[in-house]
Amino acid sequence: MNIKRIFTLLGKELLHGPRGFILTMTIAAPLLITLVVNLALGDLFGNTAQMAIFDEGQSQLVFLLEEASQLHIAEYDSSDAVKDAVSRGAADFGIVLPADFDSTITSDEKVAVTTYIWGESLAKNRTIITATLLDLTHQLSSQPEPIILESITLGDEETIPWSRRLMPMTVMMAIFFGGLMLPATSLIEEKQKRTLQALAVTPASLPDIFIAKGIMGAILSLVMGTIILLINLAWGNSPFFLLLTLTLGAVMAAEIGLILGTLINDMNTLFAVWKFGGLLLFGPAIIYMFPELPQWLNYIFPTYYVTGPIMDISLGTMDTQTLMQLAIALGVILILALLQSRLINRLSGEVVQQATKESEATG
Amino acid sequence: MTQDAIVVENLSYHYGKILAVDHISFRVARQEILGFLGPNGAGKSTTVKVLTGQLRLQEGHATLLGMDIAQDIERVQARMGVCFEQPNLYEQMTALENLELFARLFDMKSFDGYALLKKVGLEGREKDRVANYSKGMKQRLMVARSLVNQAEILFLDEPTTGLDPVSADSIRNLILKERERGATVFLTTHDMWEADKLCDRVAFLNQGKIASLDTPHTLKQQYGQRSLVVEISRNGQLEERTVTLDKPETSETMRELFSREKVVTVHSQEATLEDIFLKVTGRRLTL
Repeated sequence: MNIKRIFTLLGKELLHGPRGFILTMTIAAPLLITLVVNLALGDLFGNTAQMAIFDEGQSQLVFLLEEASQLHIAEYDSSDAVKDAVSRGAADFGIVLPADFDSTITSDEKVAVTTYIWGESLAKNRTIITATLLDLTHQLSSQPEPIILESITLGDEETIPWSRRLMPMTVMMAIFFGGLMLPATSLIEEKQKRTLQALAVTPASLPDIFIAKGIMGAILSLVMGTIILLINLAWGNSPFFLLLTLTLGAVMAAEIGLILGTLINDMNTLFAVWKFGGLLLFGPAIIYMFPELPQWLNYIFPTYYVTGPIMDISLGTMDTQTLMQLAIALGVILILALLQSRLINRLSGEVVQQATKESEATG
Repeated sequence: MTQDAIVVENLSYHYGKILAVDHISFRVARQEILGFLGPNGAGKSTTVKVLTGQLRLQEGHATLLGMDIAQDIERVQARMGVCFEQPNLYEQMTALENLELFARLFDMKSFDGYALLKKVGLEGREKDRVANYSKGMKQRLMVARSLVNQAEILFLDEPTTGLDPVSADSIRNLILKERERGATVFLTTHDMWEADKLCDRVAFLNQGKIASLDTPHTLKQQYGQRSLVVEISRNGQLEERTVTLDKPETSETMRELFSREKVVTVHSQEATLEDIFLKVTGRRLTL
């Protein structure tokens, strides 16, 4: 493996790689879906997050929240009133502050706070409220985690808004479509036009060629995933973990693309495989769309171990199970890498299947 | 003693149960041009693919520039140039970009793409997309690409295919200049005239085996028959008579022809490599 040659080949891929329909689709499709979903079902450009508060004492936090421009605050005179407002959808998020909230928090003790979440509220609103709440409590306390949020979801769980139900599909399109299709089509094109043969007789090794194509797919996947999450305001409150998860997803997508590109010799077959295989890739997104389906089905799809954590982190519900899923995603990536290296070994014996067939034909 | 550039011993290659190359052995000296001739399916492309590292060596032993291809193929590839029979260029890139990409892969420090393109007659078209090139121009660019690393061994597979006579001739001159520069050339061709004019030695490959390997001159002497083609005029019609040379009765036959017939023209004729190939293998080279 030679880094300089990998970058030379990567430069070639970026400047002269697959163009036209494939690239347009990989970039335009997730963006279009996001815009349509947000404009039709959610509200991308408006809809200030609504927060209901019942303050049993006279907390400074309420004044700070009222000054936050990204929120609309409504104060209620009882916890039942807050609960009622949230369950009706009058507020996305409700919070009940105990009388001793300020004194406890300033004495560097943790405070348990009951919060109510409207089941149909938008992910971005929940994220904005949670992030603002955590940020403002840090102004009152020097503790890293001064409050413990005890969340109660109100409303019918089956009435998850479609804008949220479609989000995993949009995210998966962004990560897996481009990240997978770009290396696959690039490799198939090189085989069809026999340019892979020409590269194979230079000092550049097959792993150099594959890594360059994989990096190109992973970069596109990472960029598209980041853009889609930013547009959806679903960056969550753990940007490091979200970036890590997106990176794992990008690598997984590129690996699957390279494997398909190695095994498939023409574009028609690739699209046929995509039509069937897409169901396997996008299974978790379909299951997320229909909560009435058994959720354990997710576990059979390798892509779930990327989209699951992305959704958890975006919604601010990351926990140890999320980390476990990330570990499984890493395992899937290692298995795919192993499979890919075996395929490269096979290819280095017969650089291109077609070349071999030509040899038979032409002597 | 100068080390041979290519040494092949008992090389065999199977595609499944089909034996494409059958225990061939040969040597190519440095700065030699070896012609590898054979009909379709004879095993010549397979041999080239094995020697250039496109196919893994299955059986036998081969060294290029003293390096074992089974062990050191990447080092060998850095010092060889390959021109494929069918164009496999990046068509969306310009000619110059194609050459510069390969020069970078070969880690060439000072590379002048313009000069190389001029050598193959593509000056003025350096920044045109290859997709807009004619078949002949693509073929010339293929030859140029095989020269980017100033290779010590050149594998040229039908390098003049699809070229007009003038371009083909300029490529042949280029091959001779590469030899003068110090390159060893392994030339696969169907063009017998080209092989005869360019190659120091030719190998006839048939059904995966080397049927014969020698200089064109020796092969002609060994297998060919020199003859004279005499054109005579009889009753206003032209007729041809072939008189085989090197026979005891040749001079008598010629004397009789001159005394009894009206001889119009006399041409000497020597055996072609095509004739010799047919004689040696029982098959025609071009199908």
